[in-house]
Amino acid sequence: MQPLAELNRDAAPAPRGMIEVSGLNHAYATRQGPVQALENVALTVGQGRFTVIVGPSGCGKSSLLMMLAGLRAASAGQILCAGRPITAPDPDRVGVVFQEANLFPWLTALDNVAFPLTLRRAPKAERQARARAMLELVGLGDAATRYPHELSGGMKQRVSIARGLVQDPPVLLLDEPFAALDEQTRMAMGEELLRIWAATRKTVVFVTHSLTEAVYLADEVLVMSARPGRIIDRMPVPLPRPRSYEMMASAEFGRLRDRIWQQIKAPAR
Amino acid sequence: MSPGRIRALIILAVLVLWEALPRSGLVPVLFLPPLSLTLAVLAADWPTFAAALGVTLSEVAVALVFAVGGGLLTGALVGGLAGPRRLLLPVFSSLYAVPLVVLYPVMTAWFGIGAESKIAFASVYGFFPTMLATAAGIRTIDPQLLLTARSMGATPAQRLLLVILPAAIPTVLSGLRLGGALVIVGVVVAEMLIASAGIGYLVTFARTVLDSPRVFAGVLLVLLIAIGFDLAMRWVERRCALWSTAGRPQSAPAAAVPT
Ligand SMILES: Nc1ncnc2c1ncn2[C@@H]1O[C@H](COP(=O)(O)OP(=O)(O)OP(=O)(O)O)[C@@H](O)[C@H]1O
Ligand SMILES: [Mg+2]
Repeated sequence: MQPLAELNRDAAPAPRGMIEVSGLNHAYATRQGPVQALENVALTVGQGRFTVIVGPSGCGKSSLLMMLAGLRAASAGQILCAGRPITAPDPDRVGVVFQEANLFPWLTALDNVAFPLTLRRAPKAERQARARAMLELVGLGDAATRYPHELSGGMKQRVSIARGLVQDPPVLLLDEPFAALDEQTRMAMGEELLRIWAATRKTVVFVTHSLTEAVYLADEVLVMSARPGRIIDRMPVPLPRPRSYEMMASAEFGRLRDRIWQQIKAPAR
Repeated sequence: MSPGRIRALIILAVLVLWEALPRSGLVPVLFLPPLSLTLAVLAADWPTFAAALGVTLSEVAVALVFAVGGGLLTGALVGGLAGPRRLLLPVFSSLYAVPLVVLYPVMTAWFGIGAESKIAFASVYGFFPTMLATAAGIRTIDPQLLLTARSMGATPAQRLLLVILPAAIPTVLSGLRLGGALVIVGVVVAEMLIASAGIGYLVTFARTVLDSPRVFAGVLLVLLIAIGFDLAMRWVERRCALWSTAGRPQSAPAAAVPT
């Protein structure tokens, strides 16, 4: 486990963005031949920025995130994170949160959060202290000894976020993390994530199907086209922070939301 | 009344009937000797019974090591690697339905009528369910858990030790339970068929001379072995699978016990 200062020194030389993707193409080999999933995707995410990716189902959002996480190799193109290429999962630079919390059912909440540190054979005292701090951060300080089946869906996803943050990576990737939650919990979790983001200043890439969620959370929304996925719009969200529930009723919010909708409902082919 | 108390009452009732039925003359003593008589025979000839128990237990213990060790190892291979799986699983699955007891005479020809043939037969007998359960347990692991572990930088060895094995434990345990029970069945059946020692041998011998108290004394000992195994398994299950009790739905192999 590197101390925080060292990680930040690592991150500092990144010239333009924390994440820089250029010329990214990907084709899946299937029985029916190659399926072009991503076409010439380029994007830059500045350090500490909150970027949301939206697009029609099957356009390649998860594929893109998998590549950013180093979990899948792209057919062509380059991905830089903190100035260095991503070729394999690197938990020092990138934490990942999936749609399902994917907690290990045989571990307590605390041990789940500590799992990435266990993989690195960090000393037990340090593991526990870090994991406990992360659980506090996501508001689950009193659930440390509970097993996943004793947690609600929202709580599980908080544990998952805590686990993604436990190694203090500069980047956090989230693939529809709240899609399996009910509307109320989802709103609360969005707010919660913004609070965590404000407290940790991570660079966040967040995939969602909810346009409201996209506008509510984002500094910038990237809109993708239907397959093959290309980025067809980069929309800055100039709403002030901290964001509030009331902003959703504003004309500005509606205008931004509508701009995304117009592009997704009639995908440019 | 709690299920536990009902269970205790049922057992008590069986024991009382075991004593009362033959004593009252409702059941001939030759069919069912009273419990007290059975226990008396057991006590009077304890050295013989103890020696037989020792033989049977040691055969069970060695066969368990082979069946469980081989079953876990092969199951992990077959479940984890696509090549061996395609090659072996269909063969194993069909073999599982074969009444393996037909092999026993062959084994006595190979290994003699001593402990070796019992161990060989019971090992093969218990091997299949353990192997199939382990393979199923490893194959049904949520791939998302492995993906998550990979995203956290887990090496292949770490994924095996820290994700695949713990995730497979509930299924493997149910396979162990079935495999272990079959090992006990296998040893006793083998002793009853062709043997010169062990509880099964004692029971068969007593039966041929119509000495039913000794037959039932042997049955009682087999019962004790089975109960002992069950208690041991419960202890292991409690220790290993805290989470499985209320966690994900368990996928136990829904295979019938071949005879
Ligand atoms: N392993 C794979 N093999 C073949 N094709 C794949 C594979 N994974 C994804 N695809 C295809 O690639 C395309 C993009 O998939 P992806 O999961 O990235 O989309 P998505 O934008 O995340 O969709 P959703 O919004 O429904 O989650 C889809 O057409 C999908 O069928
Ligand atoms: Mg997806």
